[in-house]
Amino acid sequence: MDINRYSRQILFEQINKSGQQRLSESTVLIVGIGALGTVISNQLVRAGVGKVRIVDRDVVEISNLQRQILFDEEDAEKSLPKAIAAKRKLERVNSMVEIEAIIGNASRDNIDELTEGVDVVLDGTDNFATRYLLNDICFKKNIPYSYGGVVSSRGMTAFFVPKQTPCLRCLSKEGSDGNQTCDTVGVISPVVDMVSSLQVTETLKYLTNRGEYLRNTLRSLDIWFNQQYDIKLNKPDLNCPTCQLNQYPALQKKAKEEEIVLCGRNTVQIHLLNHVSLEQLESKFSGIQSLKRTPFFLKVTIDEQISLTIFTDGRVLVQGTEDQVYARTVYDRYIGS
Amino acid sequence: MIEVLFFAELREKIDSGKIPMDAAGKSVKELKEMLVAKYELKTLDNVMIAVNEEYTTESTILADDDVVAFIPPVSGG
Ligand SMILES: [Zn+2]
Repeated sequence: MDINRYSRQILFEQINKSGQQRLSESTVLIVGIGALGTVISNQLVRAGVGKVRIVDRDVVEISNLQRQILFDEEDAEKSLPKAIAAKRKLERVNSMVEIEAIIGNASRDNIDELTEGVDVVLDGTDNFATRYLLNDICFKKNIPYSYGGVVSSRGMTAFFVPKQTPCLRCLSKEGSDGNQTCDTVGVISPVVDMVSSLQVTETLKYLTNRGEYLRNTLRSLDIWFNQQYDIKLNKPDLNCPTCQLNQYPALQKKAKEEEIVLCGRNTVQIHLLNHVSLEQLESKFSGIQSLKRTPFFLKVTIDEQISLTIFTDGRVLVQGTEDQVYARTVYDRYIGS
Repeated sequence: MIEVLFFAELREKIDSGKIPMDAAGKSVKELKEMLVAKYELKTLDNVMIAVNEEYTTESTILADDDVVAFIPPVSGG
């Protein structure tokens, strides 16, 4: 352990040498490396957490740079996958931390594997479906879950600990989505930094064995209109399907899978295949003028409005529409099904 | 009287972060119905509700001086 690198953190007597040692032996999973995820990973890697696993499905765009602190103009120009761009930056910050970058969705199929050997799961996602998935796997496997969400000038965060606190489902029922998102009402960078800093602070307390100082509230804040409110995490909902009835709904197979989802502004994601060969597709599309292939994806510009970004894991982003039926039509026309 | 706090888009719709309501003795469910009617809201079903900083269910009966908070969950990130 590099004592000099962490000297200021070790001088903070709550952490000291023993806490630093614990951090270096810890593993965290960060799901989503966007606004929250870049701040979270930056802080945890600098703090010297031993191993950081990051998962993200998107590529860097110029409109990310206003708040996603790990990325720069070059990443956006190259449309680098966020997981890869983040890993490169983080390794330059602290080469002693092992960074594992995964390009893809966190889903019911891979969440067990993603959380293997993990001490805390941190939430950098942008939708409640994935949050319930994280909540359910964490309570099933007895892993603390550091929830955070931001939009506009508002944020919300809680550190859920199985067997000690209620869970996200106790406080927020499924179907809560459909609220405002960053793509509809925007978001300012300071609230991102505040919420993710709170997510990381609770994680540091937990990992350094200072659980007695956990805040134990769901904190809501609006830093523009000056509101703050804490809901105590003291009593679970006795009918909660996750932390009380151990049913973990997000981990159960549903009759009809949602393979087609609206994914941000003007983009529909379609995920029907588990793997595609970008090479084969590239030759299939050789008649189309605008093709761009990287090791991670193939981007096909169909016309002025529509483009397809195809990833090796089978995901296809249909950009230029929010009409899911139309997106599926384009998909069938160019990819086939 | 009780006090009702509104956050996020609810604060915008109601155009106030805090209003007094004559709802002591009523249940949280009844308070929700009163607010939906009074402010022509679509629904308050997907909103977190706390009474005096404690998470609560619809059957809770409100008492004088209670502070009820309605907080829409935040989904971005
Ligand atoms: Zn629960």
